[in-house]
Amino acid sequence: MNRAFPSALAALLALVLVSFAASGCGGEGSASAEPSQSTSTTASEPTCPPGLERGWQKLASQIDAAVYCPSWLPDPLVGRIGGQWEGVHSVTKENSYLVGFIWFERGAGEVHVNLRGYPGQTKVPTCNGKPCFSGERGTREVAGRTVDVYTVNRGADTWHVLYAWKDDGSLYSVSQHVVPELGLSYSQVVKYLDLIMAGLVKIEPQQS
Amino acid sequence: MRLTRRQFVAGGAAALGAAGIYELVDRFATAPERESTRLLPSEQHVLGRPQVIVDNGVEVVVPPLHHEVVTARLNVEPTAAALAKARAMLSETLQELDARYEPAPKGLSISLGWGLPYFTRYVPALAEEHLPVDIRASKAAGEQVRGLIDAIRFPSDPEDLILEDNDVAIFLRSDSMDFIADGSASLFDEAKGLFSITSIRRGFAGGGFDGSQSLPKQMAMAAGIGGAELIPDTAELFLGFTSTQKAGLGPPGIANFETLPGYTDQFPDGYFLGGTAMHLSHLFEDVEAWYLNFDFPERVATTFKPGLDVEEGTQTVPQDAEDADASKAVEQDAEQFDAVGHSSVMQPASRLQADVTGNDGIVYPKGTAVPQRADFNTLDNPFFWSARPDVDRQDDQPAAGLHFVVFTPTSDDFHRTRLAMDGVLPDGTSIPLHPRSRGQGFNSILQTTHRQNFLVPPRRNRSFPLSELL
Repeated sequence: MNRAFPSALAALLALVLVSFAASGCGGEGSASAEPSQSTSTTASEPTCPPGLERGWQKLASQIDAAVYCPSWLPDPLVGRIGGQWEGVHSVTKENSYLVGFIWFERGAGEVHVNLRGYPGQTKVPTCNGKPCFSGERGTREVAGRTVDVYTVNRGADTWHVLYAWKDDGSLYSVSQHVVPELGLSYSQVVKYLDLIMAGLVKIEPQQS
Repeated sequence: MRLTRRQFVAGGAAALGAAGIYELVDRFATAPERESTRLLPSEQHVLGRPQVIVDNGVEVVVPPLHHEVVTARLNVEPTAAALAKARAMLSETLQELDARYEPAPKGLSISLGWGLPYFTRYVPALAEEHLPVDIRASKAAGEQVRGLIDAIRFPSDPEDLILEDNDVAIFLRSDSMDFIADGSASLFDEAKGLFSITSIRRGFAGGGFDGSQSLPKQMAMAAGIGGAELIPDTAELFLGFTSTQKAGLGPPGIANFETLPGYTDQFPDGYFLGGTAMHLSHLFEDVEAWYLNFDFPERVATTFKPGLDVEEGTQTVPQDAEDADASKAVEQDAEQFDAVGHSSVMQPASRLQADVTGNDGIVYPKGTAVPQRADFNTLDNPFFWSARPDVDRQDDQPAAGLHFVVFTPTSDDFHRTRLAMDGVLPDGTSIPLHPRSRGQGFNSILQTTHRQNFLVPPRRNRSFPLSELL
């Protein structure tokens, strides 16, 4: 069982990311606003950095539903749609979305975060006849939201710990890949997910 | 830096006296109430009176808390005189320990297993004459096969598996760490100088007797094992399920060389009557992978059998004789689910396929388990201490694993069961799954590092077996 990134996709991404890496990791650092370490609702409200907001706003308008802008992601990721770390961007005909950010260097490191939204549905979707999110480990209050924690997930979230929450009749999730060999153990990923949750900013679609 | 032999011994002896992380076992768990017994079984591998509890309607044997295996080479010249002296010294120590402690789990049980290197170096002619003959394996091979044979690399084993060649393995079990420490200090007393310790292996099992956090959970958390948070609080073992269902363990005596007719030539008067074969291996368990890649229904299917309807969170699943699978059922699972369960796939080899009247007069019903498992979880990586750290790839970082100890009527009997675990069934059926595939039981999360087979003589011949006949 390979817990690291699937090899074929990894090879492809390695090629892409090496070219990005050659141009350096800077340029978007200012967008990586550190969230409050607290996950409570009393922390100051995060904001979607200007460099990120445009892309997320565009996505919200495209699917005509709210999306969540990640004002903080684990280093080196920056949650800019169309930016250097975006590895997956998918919108289905039902307007559900998957936006994944990944840094990957073979044998050196991997940080992979997925954000999803399923407008108009709150049921866990299915992947090849099985729930896409399973291995439920209870419910937690994180950054003012009630999230269900899933540890066994499928598709792009395989090997990820995933937080799912419901908002206004829609299901949303954020997940991160567990890679213990690279210091991203389950407990470390949970800490990161708490921080990501604390930095999420809801972006409503703009009226056209 | 290379160590001298003297430093070797000193290193091993010093390590025996250190508890390391296992000191926490005593802090985390108090020994359960046990019945006392002074009856000393004639078999070395049979314990005293293990407590039996009922969980989820299933009888469960509560294993001893502490386990230690010490492997060694002998510091004894291969002469009759030297062996006689060594035998007397070891016998006396063992008798003193027998007198000091009742059998485990309340007291201390010591099982000495002797490897093929001992028999071939010290008593080759007598071994040729007296080692049990494995009747089934001999028929299958078309030539004589002994009840003790070299361990082999199985299809799911990694390329770098180490097949060991120790002279002896001494297995100590108790609810008390102090008893084990006293036992091993007596046996490996440098002044006696009988042994050069090659490895020390330690571990634990159970502990969640009253619904409190179990030892595997607490120890994994304390050691910072990846995925420790995901282990169910009261799990008997890291992988979350009870494995000592009474019906899943061979009853006392069934693993003896002589008990099951047709297994060996030791009944009625073999030298090793009352003895058994022991397999010792170490394997890493990828706890994080187990809990992040398999949801509860998949963990049930993978551990036991696909399609089992088990309530979420259940830890003790029945493993009754009447539920045991034969080859046909395993084949059907593979066809229907593209997967087989770890327990289920081994049952065509590990369970009796028909009612058997043993040479001890006991009727063992169809489906009775034959192997007597005595495995225990460990944080060793791969051992607590190694005399050859480079060869054994010794690492000080704790790692979740299992020291697998099992008693079977012959070494080949273990090999049959272990091959079944990899999809090679005793009737020749081959399950069409890769031995390390996700569907092949839980092979995909296991990584075996070391293996060796031993012969555990009856108590009367446990000290330098056969040497008294020189």
